[in-house]
Amino acid sequence: MTTTVLTALFYVLAACSVLLALAVVTTRRILRAAVYLMGVLLMSAGFFLLLGAEFLAGVQILVYVGGIVVLLVFAVMLTRSVELLEDEPSIGRKLLGYVVAAGFLIMNVALLATTEFRVLREGTLPAGNTAALGRKLLDYGPQGYALPFEVLSILLLTAMIGGIVIARKTGPVATGKLEQPGQGGSDRFGAQTTTIQGS
Amino acid sequence: MTGITENIWQAKTVAQRAAEALPESVWFALGYMVLGVVGVAAFIAVLGMGLIYAERKIAGHFQCRLGPMRVGWHGIFQTVADTLKLLLKEDVVPAQADKFLHILAPLFTLLGTILVLAVLPMSPIVHVSDVNIGVVYVGAVSGFGVLGILLGGWSSNNKWSLLGAMRAGAQIISYEISATLALLVVVLFSGTLRLSEIVESQAAGWWIWRAHGVGIVAFLLFFIASLAEINRTPFDIPEGESELTAGFHTEYSGMRFAFFFLAEFINMFIVAALTATLFLGGWMPFHIGDFAGFNAIMDMIPPGLWFTGKTAFLVFLIMWFRWTFPRLRVDQLMRLEWKVLLPIGFANLIAAAVVVLFNFYFFPVR
Repeated sequence: MTTTVLTALFYVLAACSVLLALAVVTTRRILRAAVYLMGVLLMSAGFFLLLGAEFLAGVQILVYVGGIVVLLVFAVMLTRSVELLEDEPSIGRKLLGYVVAAGFLIMNVALLATTEFRVLREGTLPAGNTAALGRKLLDYGPQGYALPFEVLSILLLTAMIGGIVIARKTGPVATGKLEQPGQGGSDRFGAQTTTIQGS
Repeated sequence: MTGITENIWQAKTVAQRAAEALPESVWFALGYMVLGVVGVAAFIAVLGMGLIYAERKIAGHFQCRLGPMRVGWHGIFQTVADTLKLLLKEDVVPAQADKFLHILAPLFTLLGTILVLAVLPMSPIVHVSDVNIGVVYVGAVSGFGVLGILLGGWSSNNKWSLLGAMRAGAQIISYEISATLALLVVVLFSGTLRLSEIVESQAAGWWIWRAHGVGIVAFLLFFIASLAEINRTPFDIPEGESELTAGFHTEYSGMRFAFFFLAEFINMFIVAALTATLFLGGWMPFHIGDFAGFNAIMDMIPPGLWFTGKTAFLVFLIMWFRWTFPRLRVDQLMRLEWKVLLPIGFANLIAAAVVVLFNFYFFPVR
């Protein structure tokens, strides 16, 4: 019984996911696209839940819905107003888009059809995968991910410092050389941009 | 861990019952889910009315007024009347608004609120779902609240709404960091993300006292940052009526305004309840070391009452703040978070990690 319900849930989630993904690319209102995208990401969180990875599902929502989509909406709010629609692309670009999409689809289908997926290990799920994930992330042995983890931290830190430098209204008081002429736009939203980048 | 509370811990949550009923019949499981949802919905409606009444009464008495007095005994039915009025009011959507998002936005905000409420351990027997990633879950679903405010402000196509939403967004995502850092201190000490286990870990003493000083700092950080996250005074610039009319909900009326309003009040309860759960022992009774007699008397008060009492006290504190502190300016608000709270939060977290890692305990914690 439980398996039937889980399977049904999977198909419902999958159908919603595909429909929402289609809506993301077909809508011409960019903010609605962001909302649909949030739906797609929520469905992915649902898949993680079905697989028994609650922590990953939580992080998926925390990072993507609470972080990425909010950031997207924030950025769109700075640039566009409600009446503006996305421009209709030219025929050439449309054709190119269709060709690329079709090619990607064919490649994917071919790959999925020919690959035989191995089940790595017939095992039971650990009771709590949060602690296991944490250990794995900070493990510097051959199976650990300490180095990628640290590299990512440095990358994010660099991005954050870069964001702050770009969003700065004026250069340091002593030199004053960082201020570029002709960047009036950054003054208006300077304060807000800092917060976006920083978070 | 005393005898009385020990056997209550065996109680099941509604979600557990649903999971156990699933192999037998889908309908039983669905029934339990409906029970949970209806329970939370009814709770929200009643609690919202109660909180609004309390706020108006407390605000009145702080200003040497009486507050609502006309409808019912001491105006007790005032909120019921107001709710009826709000529900019957015409729901106006601006002509130039993005209607789809305008309608969706309040629902998002309310959704974020309801989802948090479902995992709060109000008492060992009143608990809808005991998620094993509780703390992460709470942080994750509160993102819906921001999204609802941002979308609502943008889709109204009104500059007050837009500015209010921008301010709210910047404020919420900034203060979220400090709140999370303070939360992590408790996670470090209790060693679990599950909210019910965090409560149980405080059987010997509440984390605010037992966490060696970092607990008090974390408590203050969490409370201040959460107040900013739910846009309460002194951090209510997103709807500062003297500058922005009504902020992000300027263009909302009737039912949809009621949703925003309700979410705001329930959020106040959630902040109080979460603070109580994490730092003040949730439904755990107050114990002093080896004072067996005193502890036994404290055990006689049911856990639900402990939770309600702590939460009500914190809610009163939040309402008290509203009539005590002046509203902060936007730049002061950002400075407070990024230059004051955030460094303190990081230092506090590192201190907590050092205490836990090197077992610098003055008394047994685990």
